[in-house]
Amino acid sequence: MDKKNSGNHRLLLELDHVSVGFPIGKREISVVTREVSFQVCEGEALGIVGESGSGKSVSMLAALGLLGNGGHVVSGNIRFYPEKEQCLVLNQFTEKQLCEIRGDDISMIFQEPMTSLNPVMTIGQQVEEMLVLHGNCPKEERRSKVLSMLSEAGLPDTEAMYGKYPHELSGGMRQRVMIAMAMICRPKLLIADEPTTALDVTIQAKILKLLKKFQKQYGTTIILISHDLGVIRNVCSRAVVMCAGEVVEQGNVETLFENPEKEYTKRLLAAALGKGGILRRENAPQENIIVKARDYSVYYEEREEQLFRQDETVKQEEEAEKVENQKSELEQTIEPKEIQNNLSKKAEIQKENRQESESELEQPIEPKEIQNNLSKKAESQKENRQESESELKQPTAQRKNQRYKIEMLKRRFRQFLSGKTKRRIVNKVSFDVYAGEIVGIVGESGCGKSTLAKAVAGLNPLTEGELYLDCKQPQMVFQDPYGSLNPSKTIGWLLTEPLRLKHCGTKEEQRKAVEQMLEKVGLGKEYYHRYPNTLSGGQRQRVAIAMAIMLKQKLIVLDEPVSALDVTVQEQILILLVELQKEFGLSYLFISHDMNVIHRICDRVFVMYQGEIVEKGNTDAVFENPQHEYTKKLLSARL
Amino acid sequence: MKKQNQKNWSLIFGIVLVSIVCVFAFVGLFWTPYEPTAMSILKNKPPSFAHPFGTDNLGRDILSRVMDGASTTFLISVITVTIGLVAGTVVGAFTGYYGGIIDELLMRLNDTLTSFPSILLALVFVSVIGTGKYNIILALGVIFIPSFARVVRSEYIVQKELDYVRNAKLLGAGDLRIMFVHILPNTKPILLSSLTIGFNNAILAEAGMSYLSLGVQPPDASLGEMLSNAQTYLLNAPWFALAPGLMIVFTVLGFSLISENLK
Repeated sequence: MDKKNSGNHRLLLELDHVSVGFPIGKREISVVTREVSFQVCEGEALGIVGESGSGKSVSMLAALGLLGNGGHVVSGNIRFYPEKEQCLVLNQFTEKQLCEIRGDDISMIFQEPMTSLNPVMTIGQQVEEMLVLHGNCPKEERRSKVLSMLSEAGLPDTEAMYGKYPHELSGGMRQRVMIAMAMICRPKLLIADEPTTALDVTIQAKILKLLKKFQKQYGTTIILISHDLGVIRNVCSRAVVMCAGEVVEQGNVETLFENPEKEYTKRLLAAALGKGGILRRENAPQENIIVKARDYSVYYEEREEQLFRQDETVKQEEEAEKVENQKSELEQTIEPKEIQNNLSKKAEIQKENRQESESELEQPIEPKEIQNNLSKKAESQKENRQESESELKQPTAQRKNQRYKIEMLKRRFRQFLSGKTKRRIVNKVSFDVYAGEIVGIVGESGCGKSTLAKAVAGLNPLTEGELYLDCKQPQMVFQDPYGSLNPSKTIGWLLTEPLRLKHCGTKEEQRKAVEQMLEKVGLGKEYYHRYPNTLSGGQRQRVAIAMAIMLKQKLIVLDEPVSALDVTVQEQILILLVELQKEFGLSYLFISHDMNVIHRICDRVFVMYQGEIVEKGNTDAVFENPQHEYTKKLLSARL
Repeated sequence: MKKQNQKNWSLIFGIVLVSIVCVFAFVGLFWTPYEPTAMSILKNKPPSFAHPFGTDNLGRDILSRVMDGASTTFLISVITVTIGLVAGTVVGAFTGYYGGIIDELLMRLNDTLTSFPSILLALVFVSVIGTGKYNIILALGVIFIPSFARVVRSEYIVQKELDYVRNAKLLGAGDLRIMFVHILPNTKPILLSSLTIGFNNAILAEAGMSYLSLGVQPPDASLGEMLSNAQTYLLNAPWFALAPGLMIVFTVLGFSLISENLK
């Protein structure tokens, strides 16, 4: 095994043919990982890649004895070498012995920063708890130690942070707290289980930077578990690819990613890095408008406190960035000169960046170049608007092309109960979608893209402005295939429901149509009598798609349809979507946070930021030559 | 593994208990060893071959009366729970699904109903509409509505936010169809367990009402009425209280065990 780039080459953790099993029933044991072996050297960053269910988390949980449900190591050994010539066989340890190691020598951070913090304890208490359990740290020093750790983790205003509760923080901040907790005892090994999966791309990059910083600063060994190859490539020097409970391939990240040997790795790479080829057609027709929105705003009813909190978290995130930047400036003084130079350059660049983005926000102060840029943009926007106005002026011509035209004009809304406020989520957006086109809406969580999608589908009545649809009732495919199918009905019933509601055909005909549709989406007739809970995520999403096109509506709104799926399944669903689009002449409004997916499938793309469409254009144009700062930021965070 | 076994055993035990009572009640509908209301000279006799559970203060056969009483009690409970279930589900579905003003009005009404002890409320009902089997059913049925409504409402509030409901809306399903065709089947697990608990409560409530001699009127038998009579003779004829008491214990325990294991 090659050990280049791997710190000082001393073995730290070794999995030696480890099989992990969970008991089912009385005597049977279901083995979930088979003969997994790999090693981690001190100071290196190892990535474990694999799809869900590949056993990547389980093998690490086994090392810490956190399996639960009676899971245990069936065969093989997990050896941990905390000091030279000290070997601990973790799978033979008692719970008490493991407790001493957990958090002290090996610590772990989890995917969901929402649930991995205790909601009734303050941040400070939770971080301090680690010191109480492990450190021989005297009581007086604890608080100051916690505070300095919090600021190291990039949290602003640590004194105030100490007394805050987890729900007052944003996801990124919570993950920083988790990292602070994990690092406060200076563990030798940090296991990060999908630490950034639940976060937005731009915050993701910051968290990874933080992890890398700790690795460098304290020589902490990191095992990063992720399904995202970009994340692994960014942080790790070596990677292990797992599939169905077995190690498929391992090696240096560069060699592994450039010359994968095994078929599975190749497939995974192709799917993950968006190299699966562009699926969209070259020229999408732009004749008939199917959606036309003008100054369209969408509101949400919300309790006042919540409103306040959201603003707060945005502020926190910004502050965190500032703190980090200051940090890097401070670090300069401590670090040797070479690095110092490097860093100061980086800091400058960061400063510039920040200035740019700030100036973007405050137009009057901005430098000339950007101003030019902006004025150009403004012109083009004007042109667009003029075009659209001219379109509006000739409504009669268009009516001929449009079979149905639903007008949703300035819906009035009332405030039913006091204490609720309307929050404007989508702010006066104007756009067109042409028939037969796939339009992507991209942006981070909270930018209003889902809200806009739901409003277009007619699920949110609190809207203002104009929206014309040349489609009776747009259908929608939701992100979570586990929530969008009624669990108490069979697949056949679910697919027949739209026909039943529209009184289409006799029972025989309905059944035939459903069976045909099942074949179309790549399931078989045999799925007719199955319940959703017997299907996998990908299969469920196929059913959801089938349901959406059952009524033969021309517009389908897809709200993150592949985000909950594994990369290889994602690939299949995307291909299916494009095939169906061609076959039925559908138009898609495709919502996603994943730039790769958007790039592959969409003809045009709208970039949304804080409720506004900040950039729109042909996908290639936007990706190759982004105009808006935010688009650039999104593209650079693509890793 | 061990847990699974225990679960099975207690489920079986529950079913056995309930079926014993059910057999008694069911047979009691058609046949009893003696006429339940026939008096004889043998008063307060301990159990014997002729009278397996003994006789009561008027010389009536306790076995016959228990069989007859159990079927009456069961009938009352079943109808009561059905009224509560159906009306409660409808109320809960509407309040949970629509929210807003309907919800406020109905749920505050609900609160008012639940803020009185249920027995007190039943007393008021009965004193207004009079005693008797059918009045009891009506009174208890109304009292059972709030608890079902509350359970169903909370379930609807959760379910209506799920994507499958949105999907159904997009397909063009009306509100009623969404409420009773799409969402209702998903409340089955919670409805089942509240059904068994409700049934237990109904049996206890009927026994309580009859014990206060507001329910089934003599000479008709019901488990509660028998207990109430037996109280006077508890020291010299303990078997009198034992048979109806055991019946109630069997039913309540049995249903509790079943409902716990169905979860």
